[in-house]
Amino acid sequence: MFKRNETIGGWQTGILLFVLFFANKILVLPSLLYDQAGIGGIYVPVILFLFEFALLFLFYGLKKKYPEQSFGQILKKFGKFVYYLIFVFLMFYFLGKTVLLYNITYIFFKNIIYKDTSNILFLFCFLPIMIHLAVSGLRVMGRTMQLFFPIILIMVVFCIVVGVLGIDTNTMLFTSKSSDVFLSTFRHISAFGDTIFLFVVMDKINVKKGEWKVVFSLAGLSAICVIAVCAIFIFSYTYTSYMHPFALFEIMSYVKETGGIGRIDIISVVVIIILTYFHLAICMKGFLDSFVETFKLNNIYGSISFQIVFLILINYLVLNVEKAISYGEVYLPYISAIPFVIIPIFAIISLFFKKREGRK
Amino acid sequence: MKRFVMQALKTPMFLVFIAIVLIYGIAALGQPAAVNRYAIVTAIGIDKANDGENEIEVSLLTFTPVANVNYTEKYKVVSAKGRAVSEALDYAGLRLGREVGLSHVNILVLNIDLLDEDIGHYLDYFSRNKVLAGTTKVVVTDKSAKDFLSVVEKMDSDSSIKINEVLSYNKEYVYATDSSLESFFKGYFGPTKVSLVPLLSIIKDETGVGVSASGSDDSGQSSSGSGQTEGEIVNNGDTLVFKEGKRVLMLDGLDMKIIQLIKGDFKTGSFVLENYSDDIFTNAELGFEMLENKIHYKVVYENNIPIFMVESELTMELAEIENQGVVVEKNVEFMKFTDQMKNAVILKIKNLMAEGIELMRDNQIDLIDFYTIMHNSDPKAFSKFLSSLENEEDYLSQMVFKINVNIFTR
Repeated sequence: MFKRNETIGGWQTGILLFVLFFANKILVLPSLLYDQAGIGGIYVPVILFLFEFALLFLFYGLKKKYPEQSFGQILKKFGKFVYYLIFVFLMFYFLGKTVLLYNITYIFFKNIIYKDTSNILFLFCFLPIMIHLAVSGLRVMGRTMQLFFPIILIMVVFCIVVGVLGIDTNTMLFTSKSSDVFLSTFRHISAFGDTIFLFVVMDKINVKKGEWKVVFSLAGLSAICVIAVCAIFIFSYTYTSYMHPFALFEIMSYVKETGGIGRIDIISVVVIIILTYFHLAICMKGFLDSFVETFKLNNIYGSISFQIVFLILINYLVLNVEKAISYGEVYLPYISAIPFVIIPIFAIISLFFKKREGRK
Repeated sequence: MKRFVMQALKTPMFLVFIAIVLIYGIAALGQPAAVNRYAIVTAIGIDKANDGENEIEVSLLTFTPVANVNYTEKYKVVSAKGRAVSEALDYAGLRLGREVGLSHVNILVLNIDLLDEDIGHYLDYFSRNKVLAGTTKVVVTDKSAKDFLSVVEKMDSDSSIKINEVLSYNKEYVYATDSSLESFFKGYFGPTKVSLVPLLSIIKDETGVGVSASGSDDSGQSSSGSGQTEGEIVNNGDTLVFKEGKRVLMLDGLDMKIIQLIKGDFKTGSFVLENYSDDIFTNAELGFEMLENKIHYKVVYENNIPIFMVESELTMELAEIENQGVVVEKNVEFMKFTDQMKNAVILKIKNLMAEGIELMRDNQIDLIDFYTIMHNSDPKAFSKFLSSLENEEDYLSQMVFKINVNIFTR
């Protein structure tokens, strides 16, 4: 049965996906994509979003077959070992993503505005709200996102429209090798796979008939916006993309002088702040639910565990851009095997299980 | 009141809010205001230092935020030497007593003496600096950068036309080119490796170097005097061409106009047709206003040789006639842009464009980025063409150019 204060409907699910798809993709990623795959870097988010939508379709299929069951209940059919293993992996996955997300945002704000602010002081801006949103329940998170959704949408579209004005029409095309594109796809796979969050909170999602197209539409819109930001950045900067590590901010800065319209890049800063709050809360929620499934303990214990490990990791693992990139490109891609390989395998098998049981 | 306090204590977020306010509030009270911690620098100049120990001298044009009833701004120029740009900026900060803030830098001035080496050495610091905008203008001056900034100081203090406004106009005018840090590095790292930087001169007036009262209050604090230099910045459209960061050529305003006619990267300008004769005019000089310019490029390959077609559509207006020895009687008819006139203009523009292409060929500098255009039109054919050359960098000499010009009148 659905718990009333925990469930979200179709619109809120769609908005959650819209917001979530921006995580880890609009700051450092576009610059890295060009660095490794040239103009072909634009294909990387396209390829990885295809995987995301495949995951979303898989979730849709699973939700149709198991409308009220949680993912944990489905996984229990494979045995307790598989069940615990996957949820432990998911804990590490969400924790890893949160650490990367937080630190990239911290580095961004440190470079742009708050040069002297320490990590801990900066954390005070995010940690309380992030914990509150994660612990308060999915419904609270969904409603808050619904409130901010029009603002986020308008600002993102504005950033994209302004960014288009800075595109350099004389860019060398057809210079990338397919091997570079696929290698870059693997190295940045950890920036994607956000749809896995829906699996973790599967029993708390109640999408009515006819609302699924809203979910897919909003997810598609988000994917288009992210690909647009990557493409605009790559076409605007090309050979100088290494000088501009923060894509959404930089595509606004470029037209600042030529348009004579002042510091409009502040709009991208506002968007990044709002999105980061939600991304961190969602990732922490993913960790908490996985923690509860694994250890059968209260959210509070999960929250405390999360904070302790989180604080250790952000202070020692990803202190600067170079370390954060190394962490994201070297270690996290292997943890990303969870959303892209392990869970889809079990999800597909679960779909077949139901059919076999029906025939018997 | 008691109930309110009890209710507030039961709301965790309220306690968190109080904690954040206390932590940040106390931390903020202990810090000076950002405007007092950072020196706001609006222009940077780099010269070669003349002593053996230090390699360069950095001059900073800083804005001093001081209450003022005159509605003018206070600027001063501060210099420091160092072995590298970062070291010199550190020493400049020591002299200023503040941290150097580069977020508001509009212009970066380089002394022409620095250009004996790879200019990338001096711009490397700025390319890595995250706060410096990519739209910062880069210029070269034939005088010292410090003197240049002193003249700029006077312009800014008088709230007159600012130097970055002069340089922004460069982008629109046919005689000149815009150069920002971003466009410089795009050329530097691009396939042609060519970058353009405007050259601005200072003409000092006959009374010599003057010192005015504005901005000189703190002259005791800096090692170099902060008095303003009386002079004028002259923009003739002179442009330096760099290839792989090294200076290869200087183009004057007329050369730049020729290149821009091929590039089509301007919005305004003038054009003069000399020694024009027809039924009405005899050896007249006709001045035209260029109103609009559309350039189309097309590349076809024949026998593995690229044929680069340039189609120019210029909209012009006859603006001035100088016809010596003839009294102008019928003004209306004389202002007509006749077909004969058009053909003469077309011929002249074609000849100028051909001259521009020869200039690029002779110096092996691809100022139009033909390389990218040819690559994008047919990557395989272009690659095959390049591999057939003895020297791949000399592709301009082996290409065929066809120019077509159409003139439209308003």
